[in-house]
Amino acid sequence: MQPYIQGRNVNLTFRPPNRGPVRALQNFDIDVNEGEFLSIVGPSGCGKSTFLNVILGLIRPDSGDIRLRGSPISGPSTDRAMVFQDFGLLPWRTVQANVELGLELKGMAADARRKVSQPLIEMIGLAGFEGHFPHELSGGMKQRVGLARALATDPSVLLMDEPFAALDAQTRDLMQVELLRVWQQDKKTVLFVTHQIEEAIYLSDRVMVMTKRPGRAKKIFPIDLPRPRDYEMRVTPEFNELKLQIWNELKDEITV
Amino acid sequence: MSELLETGMAPAGDFAPARSLWRRIEPAVLGAGSIVVLLLLWELLPQLVTLQAGTKMLFTTPSKIAVTLWNMIVTGKLWAPLSVSGTGFVVGLLLSVLVGLPLGVVLGRSRTLNAMFDPFVTAFNATPRLVFLPLLMLWFGLGVTAKVVIVFIGALFPILINTYEGVRNADRGLINVVRSFGGSEWDVARLVVVPNALPYIVAGLRLAIGRAILGVVVAEFFGAEDGLGVIMVQAASRYQVDVVFAGLIVFAVLSLIMTGLVKLLENRLGGWRPQRTGGE
Repeated sequence: MQPYIQGRNVNLTFRPPNRGPVRALQNFDIDVNEGEFLSIVGPSGCGKSTFLNVILGLIRPDSGDIRLRGSPISGPSTDRAMVFQDFGLLPWRTVQANVELGLELKGMAADARRKVSQPLIEMIGLAGFEGHFPHELSGGMKQRVGLARALATDPSVLLMDEPFAALDAQTRDLMQVELLRVWQQDKKTVLFVTHQIEEAIYLSDRVMVMTKRPGRAKKIFPIDLPRPRDYEMRVTPEFNELKLQIWNELKDEITV
Repeated sequence: MSELLETGMAPAGDFAPARSLWRRIEPAVLGAGSIVVLLLLWELLPQLVTLQAGTKMLFTTPSKIAVTLWNMIVTGKLWAPLSVSGTGFVVGLLLSVLVGLPLGVVLGRSRTLNAMFDPFVTAFNATPRLVFLPLLMLWFGLGVTAKVVIVFIGALFPILINTYEGVRNADRGLINVVRSFGGSEWDVARLVVVPNALPYIVAGLRLAIGRAILGVVVAEFFGAEDGLGVIMVQAASRYQVDVVFAGLIVFAVLSLIMTGLVKLLENRLGGWRPQRTGGE
């Protein structure tokens, strides 16, 4: 069977003005199955986020083939949505208007938008906060809004670029539980970029380790831990064994 | 969901120490008081010192100015020149916003167009607008058109340059958010770039209003057949000092009203911004 997302020999070099070119991705291959939760871990600057932007359609690779459901990705589309590390909420829009951003850009009428956004706002636990502005929310609440906005257009692929990196440790743990709960409902295909190995294992079906720049897939670890997963799972021997294996693979790539 | 509880925000005022009535009204009382004292001194000056006959001609008192202004209002002498000046001001300012805002957005977003237009903007902006006056009077005469044009070129650049700066300052991350949902360049401008630039634009508008009023005054002082400035110049040549002062007061009040309107606009547009602590 053909993979849901398929990348072959993807190469990408940034050419910033006044500086030398930076090779972000080199011969990058990836296969993602439908409904799969795949995490990508790798050293800083290895091209993980760049790759998500390629899937999103915001960056076009120099060469290589990248396909979603068999057709090449040529630009942004509402079947893919991103949850951004710094939340990416428009500060002059209320919670509701932020959640409805993608729907608005699709040209949906206001009352139809509300029918979509309201259940999502309730699902993320922000009922009653519809009229609040982002600066009135905590970091965790902001990223819930970011998640609801990404889900609003009902994409088949959810791209998450270190979505919890800006949150404190406890909020992060809660958000991971929340994300699994949401994902369990309709099993979207998720590509999740993170620096935290534990987070990657806890959430994912598979964890991909990338090399340092220029980024390639180094090794993929299947995570055969049963679902639904709970917090206690993090202290089981199996979990720690995986953590050690992934760390051993990753540490050679990290230069301090 | 514990974080929801923590955000049950109490208004900042609840934590502010209770202030006495005097502490709250003190600035207003002192401000108003100093104005009243100054006006009283001015009014009483002829009684306190003897003015020479020549100086007396150039002197007036607040009460005389008030009476003159009142008479101008009730006899309707004020309204015709005021409407001429007002038309020049409003039309010129509106045109400068209609041109400056879109142009600032376009120049801020397009490197090519910016490179093409930048020399003109820089050169025009560096030139005092007054030097165009003889040319404008020659081309557009002494009527309202010349006034509109001089107001326009005065008010255009603060709006254009501020909009441009605000547009350049737009958050790339937010632009990418809109793009990622399939937004066009128009959507990016509408949803991110312009809202982000609004504080800059409003600051530009404030500057532009000052320039526009200056434009009206200058045009009417030096080459117009009608308007409040013309009345003032004519009155000055007849030593009607109180009429000159009346005109001055009308201009000052108009400036204050416009500044107040901009502030109102600012508050309306800035509702999403965090409240500054400590109040106004």
